[in-house]
Amino acid sequence: MNRHINRRRFVQTSAAGAGALALGSSAHRSLAAQEATPGSIVIPDSGVELPTDDITFRWIDSGDLKALFYNEFHAAYQEAHPNITIQYDPLPYAEINQIVPIGVQSGDAHDMFAMPQDIPSAQAVAEGWVAPLDDIIPDFAAWKERFPLGSFMDGVHVFDGLTYTFPQTSSKRYWTMMFYNTAYMDEAGYDPESERLTWDQYREAARTITEQGQGQYYGVVFGGQSTDRFGTFVRNLGRMAGASAGGSLGFEDIDWRTGEFVYASDEYQAAIDLLLGLESDGSIFPGSMSLNDAEAWSQFPQGIAGMILEGPWVIPQWQRENPDFSFGLASQPVPNSGESVPLAYEETGSNQLWVYADSPYKNVAGDMLSYIGSVEGQVAIMAATRGFLRALVPEAAEIAQESVPLDPFAATALALYDEQMRLGPMVPVRNPAASRVAFERRPLTPDLGQLVQGILAGQIDDVPAAMEDLQSRANAELERAISAAQEQGAEVTRDDFVFPDWDPTAEYTAENYQ
Amino acid sequence: MAIGTVQPTDVLTGEGRPAPGRTLAQRVWAARWCYLFMLPNLVLAAMFTFYPTVMSWYFAFLDWSGFTSDKEWVGLDNFREIIDDSFFWDAYWRSFQFMLVAVPIQVVLALVIALILNDSSYKLGPFFRTVFFLPVVTSAAIIGIVMTFVFSPFNGPVNKALLNTGLADRPVDFLGDPDTALWTVAGIWIWKWFGITMIYWLAALQVVPQDLYEAARLDGANRWSLHKDITLPMVFPFAVVIILITIVGSLNVFGLVQTMTAGGPFFASEVMEVYIYRNAFGDTGIPRLGYASAAALFFGITVLGLSLLQGWGLKKANDARSQMKGS
Repeated sequence: MNRHINRRRFVQTSAAGAGALALGSSAHRSLAAQEATPGSIVIPDSGVELPTDDITFRWIDSGDLKALFYNEFHAAYQEAHPNITIQYDPLPYAEINQIVPIGVQSGDAHDMFAMPQDIPSAQAVAEGWVAPLDDIIPDFAAWKERFPLGSFMDGVHVFDGLTYTFPQTSSKRYWTMMFYNTAYMDEAGYDPESERLTWDQYREAARTITEQGQGQYYGVVFGGQSTDRFGTFVRNLGRMAGASAGGSLGFEDIDWRTGEFVYASDEYQAAIDLLLGLESDGSIFPGSMSLNDAEAWSQFPQGIAGMILEGPWVIPQWQRENPDFSFGLASQPVPNSGESVPLAYEETGSNQLWVYADSPYKNVAGDMLSYIGSVEGQVAIMAATRGFLRALVPEAAEIAQESVPLDPFAATALALYDEQMRLGPMVPVRNPAASRVAFERRPLTPDLGQLVQGILAGQIDDVPAAMEDLQSRANAELERAISAAQEQGAEVTRDDFVFPDWDPTAEYTAENYQ
Repeated sequence: MAIGTVQPTDVLTGEGRPAPGRTLAQRVWAARWCYLFMLPNLVLAAMFTFYPTVMSWYFAFLDWSGFTSDKEWVGLDNFREIIDDSFFWDAYWRSFQFMLVAVPIQVVLALVIALILNDSSYKLGPFFRTVFFLPVVTSAAIIGIVMTFVFSPFNGPVNKALLNTGLADRPVDFLGDPDTALWTVAGIWIWKWFGITMIYWLAALQVVPQDLYEAARLDGANRWSLHKDITLPMVFPFAVVIILITIVGSLNVFGLVQTMTAGGPFFASEVMEVYIYRNAFGDTGIPRLGYASAAALFFGITVLGLSLLQGWGLKKANDARSQMKGS
């Protein structure tokens, strides 16, 4: 009930519109306080008792798309609370992975931080790094209720009954959407937006573009030094072709119906063959092996290649830094049969923030998160990022899609996600104790991405044997990690990694866990 | 406060050397100003060299990510795992391959250039000495990043030259090809550090008395004979030290490799330091500081062996020099 009232009130009273938001001046914001439209940022009085002396609130995360929102939000918050200065440090995860643990160890961590990639969140909670949100966000139960059922998961967001983080934006997105140079693609005679390229067409288009380029540009480019890009290529193409699988607790590529890994599947093998075909055609940009992902997509607007498979984060940067670059966005190459199986994803949320347990300003964090998780805040996120980040609160997503101008590319991407992705099973939702397995996991060396790199570089000849070996190593490591978790007292078995009722074409919802 | 009867200069020159039979404490007290001046360096070395080194020995026996309190004593398990890890041995031998190829080239090339630049009649010597030394004082990471552009298959100057001269009909991915990646890095390493080896040689060449050359010339020796019969025998004792210093240097190539290839493609240029880094800081998202420390200790013992060899070589070189002086 409340939601409807809130929404009406929101539409009537929210501030000055996404256009004004984009301008982002303080003048617009003060105007917005009186005459608001969806997407603008008006800091409400949450009722939290805030410090009155001058303080600096420190915040670290990975920036990128969410920084578009945070820059607006921080400015508005500081304007509403002139005694509070927000020190925002948007840094690559490689640095977050080191700065945050060192900060915690020295008792001087940022007040709010993104969790380092290599620290399982359950471990950070167990170590006392982070504070529960229950006591610092005002009217917490009502605030939490806005999120759709199943958004807060044991072992992911909730530990021992307390909520430590929340899914700020949806993790429903994939990294292998096809971006293409429209001039090259037009000349090659393809229009992937109106007719999706099949694997064969993708290869043929790459070959044609390479011939057109005559050594000046090539069909496709990969950031091959970032081996996860090769891994994701094989994974997403293979899965869409029918090797249905998902991942949880750091273990990827598990067919939930059987609990078996799918590395040795025909579909993964076929995706590798497609890569090898591109290579033998000479269609891969020659420097692909020595470029990392960011270098590859940063150079793409310079016309080095016709196609790149990437995630939505490339778009704002291209638009900002290469405004004259004409590109298109379409689905990843679809199977030749024309029958695509949706990609499974874990809705663990993206861009989660954690509050440092020893921060003297946890109340300030609570005040900020109160807004970010509100309908208004969630709409503002979509408005500031023009839809590249999707609100998880359904009401906010609905308002944003109706009321704020979304980037046409973001709209295309959102439509692709909805069509091509389905919520998959999540092991810790059914058995929170299974989270211990993530603690015990050790890396597979070589992993899928490294293997594919080795295959493309000609260092691995027997591809089926290599994939069988990977499958066998993954099985062994999962068994070992489960045993290690059991030794630590966790009640977890291999059966926790099996979901016989999983239908890859349907959402795996809360009801499925009953 | 009285400074005392022993002045620092006395200590340095040995004129104030305490009489034999004084206790260690008395001798330390007598030289207290020297120790006082050494103290800042000792403190820093203790904090940033000795302590991390000793702690890494301890970590080598732990199953520990490095970031949490969840650490477990596993004895020699890490070492057993290392011995079974083919990637460790690949990286281990790759480090030595790098050394065996890069060190001889660098040492010989630096000697040749040093001989040329040591010729006082060559007026541009000082200029070229500076030019050759410039890469030494430039950060390895910066050089690595710049060289990725220089060797880029797309518009990189090296590939442009190859294509324009017809030496290649398609760009060469020097850093992305498993056959060329490590050796491209080795070439850059030689170029970067060549200057310091050249300076060592130039210093060594200063000890060759000019009158020997003059006497030989009077006897009709040509340039080749001068170097073969005078220069090389005279600088040989230094060669041992220079080679050993260069060997140890060739095992410390992390900055260049990490920035140019990150150990790839598919581990083709993964030397020991990159292997240690990969495990310690987890490019796969799972850091294993204990395991990486064990690998570092294992490899460190090897480097220590080489350093001891260096010390032994130094002693032999000094003995040889003394003999030469004596004769």
